Amino acid sequence: MRPIEIVRVHVAAIVIAITAVAWLHAGVDVALPHAADSLKFAVIGDNGTGEPPQYDVARQMVSSRSSFPFDFVLMLGDNMYGSQKTPDFVTKFERPYGPLLDVGVRFYATLGNHDQPTNRSYGSFNMGGERYYTFARPPARFVILDTNLMDRAQLAWVDDTLERTEEPWKIVYFHHPIYSDGDRHGSNVEMRVLLEPLLVRHGVSVVFSGHEHIYERTTPQKGITYFIEGSSGQLRKGGVTPSPLTAASFADDRTFMLVEISGDQLFFQTISRTGRIVDSGVIQRAPDGSARSSP
Amino acid sequence: MTSHAHTHPALHVAQRRRHTLAWLRFINERFLWLPLGAALAFVWANTWSESYFRTAHALAFPVNEIGMAIFLGLVTQEALEAMMPGGALDAWRRWAMPLLAAAGGVLGSTFFYLGFITLKHEQVLAAAWPVACAIDMAAGYYLLKTIFRRSAAPHFLLVLGITTNAVGVLILAVWPAFTPHHLGAALLLLLAVSIAAAIRRSRVRVFWPYLVGCGTLSWLAFYWAGVHPALALVPIVPFLPHRARAGNPFADPTPDGIVHRAEHEWSAVVQLVLFLFGLVNAGVLLRGADTGTTAVLMAALLGRPVGVLGGVALGIALGLRLPPSIRWRELIVIALATTSGFTFALFAATSLLPPGAVLTQIKVGALATVAGAVITLSAARLLRVGRFAAPPSRA
Repeated sequence: MRPIEIVRVHVAAIVIAITAVAWLHAGVDVALPHAADSLKFAVIGDNGTGEPPQYDVARQMVSSRSSFPFDFVLMLGDNMYGSQKTPDFVTKFERPYGPLLDVGVRFYATLGNHDQPTNRSYGSFNMGGERYYTFARPPARFVILDTNLMDRAQLAWVDDTLERTEEPWKIVYFHHPIYSDGDRHGSNVEMRVLLEPLLVRHGVSVVFSGHEHIYERTTPQKGITYFIEGSSGQLRKGGVTPSPLTAASFADDRTFMLVEISGDQLFFQTISRTGRIVDSGVIQRAPDGSARSSP
Repeated sequence: MTSHAHTHPALHVAQRRRHTLAWLRFINERFLWLPLGAALAFVWANTWSESYFRTAHALAFPVNEIGMAIFLGLVTQEALEAMMPGGALDAWRRWAMPLLAAAGGVLGSTFFYLGFITLKHEQVLAAAWPVACAIDMAAGYYLLKTIFRRSAAPHFLLVLGITTNAVGVLILAVWPAFTPHHLGAALLLLLAVSIAAAIRRSRVRVFWPYLVGCGTLSWLAFYWAGVHPALALVPIVPFLPHRARAGNPFADPTPDGIVHRAEHEWSAVVQLVLFLFGLVNAGVLLRGADTGTTAVLMAALLGRPVGVLGGVALGIALGLRLPPSIRWRELIVIALATTSGFTFALFAATSLLPPGAVLTQIKVGALATVAGAVITLSAARLLRVGRFAAPPSRA
C-alpha cells in the first residue's frame, strides 16, 4: 500500500470513528411517524420566565407545528415565575405562545411550586379551576396532579379516575419528579411511595414531570417511563449526573418535546432551542399498560 | 504480681443499671425522646428512603392523630396545673408582659414568613404560616434554665410559649370550614364532656376513665367533625383531678399522690408517643430544602425575636413592668430562646399540610430551627448574662 493510501485509510477511519461517537452521543434519531389519525401533542415545563430563551423555544414549537400539527400542549408546572399579575400573563404566556393560541392549540397546565394557586382559574390553562383534573384525547387519558399538596382526597381521586379509565394509554403528569438524577432536587421519594403503587396498579405507561431544570428520560421503572422536561424556559446547565436510572439526558440548552401516539406505540422527540433533536425513541405499550422504550 | 481491686459482678450490674436509669430519667425529664426519634428518622430517610417513607406513612395515622392526642392532653394538664393557685405560673399580674411579647412574636414571625414568600412569589407556601409561629417550649425552657440558674426568665418564656402555641392550637381547631354535619359531632362532644363532668362529681381520682372513656368519645367527635383529633383531650382535661405544680412544669411529677402518680404513668406513655412522633415525621431528605425552609428559618430566627422585643417595648411604653431580674440584655436572650420550633412546629406542619413538596420544605425548616439554641447560647455569652456574666469584682 502506498503512503498516500495509508493516509486515506487513516483519515476514513478517523471520520467513521468521529461520526460513530457523535451518533452514539446524540442517541438514535427516531422519526415521528406523522400518521394521519394519530394523537399529536407537545410538552413543556418550567417555562414561564418571560425571558428570551422561553421565546426561542416557543418559536421552535411554532416552527415544528408546520410539519407536526399538534393541537394541544402539556404544561408541567412553573408555568409562571416571579410576578403573576395580569400583564405577566401576557409577557410570560400569551405573547410567546400567541401563534399557537391563535390557531386553537390548547394548553393543559399543572401547578408547580412557583405558580400562584389561583392560576388554576386562568382560562387558557384549561384547568377548570381545579388543582387536579383529567381530560381524554383518544386513545389517551391524561391525569393531572398537584404534588405541592397531595392530600387523601386527591389520592382517592387518582385511584378512582385511573380505575374508570377506558382509554388504552394512561398518561399522568405533575410537577415534582418521583424518579430523577437531577442534581438540584433528585427523586421525590416520599411522593413516589404515595403515587407509584397507584400508577403501577392501573397500568400507567408514561409520566411527565418538571421541577428539575433539565431534560431527562428514565429507564422504565416497574414498567413506567418517566420524562423530566423542566427546561423549556429555565435551565440548570450540566445539572444532571446520570446513573443507571437515566436512559437519556440533556442539560446544555432549553428543550421541549413532541409526542405522537399511534396504536400501541408512543413516539417522542426532544428538541433543543436551536432545533436539534437531543433525544428520540418509541415506547411500546404492553396489554397491561406497562411500557418498553427504545432506544 | 499485682493485685487488683475486683468489683463484685452483682455490684457492677447494679451500678450499670443505676447509670442507665439516670440517663433514662434525664432523657424523660428533658423531653429528649423526640429529638432521638427525629435523629433516627433523619438518618433512616437519607439512607434507605423508600423503606423509611413506607414505614412513616403506615404509622402516620396512629401516631399523629391518636398518639398525639395523649401528648396534647398532658400539655394541657401541665399548663392548667402550672396556672393553679400555688402553681409555677400563678402570677397573673406578670402575665400581661409575656402576653404582649407573645403577640409580638406571632406578628413578627408571620410578617417575616409571609413577606419572604411574597418576595419569592411562592404563594403556595402561604398556608403554612402558623408553623413559623410555633415555639418548642421544652427546648426554650431548658435552654434558659441552663443559662439563668435563678431567674424569672424560664417562666417568662413558658407564658410566652403557652400563649403562642395556644393560638396555633386554636387555628388548628378552626381550620376546616364549619358545616351543618358537624352538629352530630358537637352533640357527641357534649356527651363526652358531660360524662367527664359526672365522673368528676363522683370524685373519681384515677385518670383512665376520663382519658379512655370520655377521651375516646371526644376523639370520635373531633374526627367526625373534621377537626384535628389530636385536640380531643383538650376539652376533657379540665375535668381531671389537678394538683398545683410549683416547680418545673416539664419535670416528671413526683409520685407523691394519686394525681401525680397517674400523671407519672401518663407521662411515660407520652414519651413513647413523642419518640414515635419524631420517628414518623422528622425524616426529610436534605434535598427537600427550598424556599419554604428559608421562610420558616427567617420567621423563627429573625421575625420572632424582633417581634417579641417589639411587644416588650410596647408593654414598657404602656407602663407595664418587667420581672425584677430581667433587663434588655436578658430579654434579648429570652427572645432568642423562643426561636426553636421543633416539636410544635413539626406538629403544626403535619397537622396543617398533607404530604407533598410544601410539607417537605416546611419540615426541613422546622427541624433546622434547632440552630436557634446555638444562637441563644452564643448571644448569652456575648452579652454576658446568666452563667456567662462576669464575676463580681473584689474590692
